[in-house]
Amino acid sequence: MHELSLALEVCRLAGDVLVRERGASVRAIGVDVGDDAGIELENFRFCLDALLLEPPFVGARAELQPVAGDVLRLTYVEVDDGRSDD
Amino acid sequence: MAVRTIDVRERVMARNDLLAAEVRCRLEHAGVLAFNLVSSPGSGKTLLLERTLEALGEELDIAVVTGDVQTQNDADRLARHTTRLVQAVVTGGACHLDASQITEALNRIELARTRLLLIENVGNLVCPAGWDLGEMAKIVVFSVTEGEDKPLKYPKMFRMASYAVLNKIDLLPHLEFDAELAIANALEVNPALRFFRTSARTGEGLPEWFDFLKSSVGQVAGW
Repeated sequence: MHELSLALEVCRLAGDVLVRERGASVRAIGVDVGDDAGIELENFRFCLDALLLEPPFVGARAELQPVAGDVLRLTYVEVDDGRSDD
Repeated sequence: MAVRTIDVRERVMARNDLLAAEVRCRLEHAGVLAFNLVSSPGSGKTLLLERTLEALGEELDIAVVTGDVQTQNDADRLARHTTRLVQAVVTGGACHLDASQITEALNRIELARTRLLLIENVGNLVCPAGWDLGEMAKIVVFSVTEGEDKPLKYPKMFRMASYAVLNKIDLLPHLEFDAELAIANALEVNPALRFFRTSARTGEGLPEWFDFLKSSVGQVAGW
């Protein structure tokens, strides 16, 4: 449940980014996970993957980066705004 | 298509920590001392709080917030020992209380006639260690029916706590629990931890616990 709570908060933060990026879809979210953050990495990945099956994150992947320390941080959100590159 | 990477770099706990700071500010402004009681399930937190409310509820103007995954059984038990409304937070599956729930609970508590706020967190020695609720200190309650190595198994909780209550000491003659070893283990993790040895059932050790609460509230009043 601990990992699920934190994964929900990650999605809330990513959702805030999406609100600012009106109309964009999420391709990936990057999260730094500290080795002293009290988080079981695979459990956290499982929870996050499950949440990313739901709108507005459908199709997005979680990119977890193990780091030193007790930090848990949303580092980036990769979005596709649907416009052409040029 | 235009794929862009948006740099965020936001700590996941940032929102909770901000709310906790606001809670702390509200409590300090109102002159209310708050303790966050954390423990594993079944350590005797609720009975300890029942005894505390019986003895000091009126004298210290104690308000209580309880957190449970399901049911408000603890709040119902505590309500029998106080004329105040006990704020029950049913987390609906979450394994800890967070600062937003305390913020909402404070909106229903008359802070002007409160001097001590006791928060009974969800029974869990892992997650509540990482969530600041705006309390002045965490108090970890553990009991002699658990292992002496609990502090070593859950070091973050014992590191984050300022006080520890070793409860159910009336059972010591019936168990092989080594209280001195348990306390030594806790002090190894956190040398500054102050200990209380209590039996909420028989009342043993409770006078020291009550004196601590009274003097702590007195210190806040003297600020």
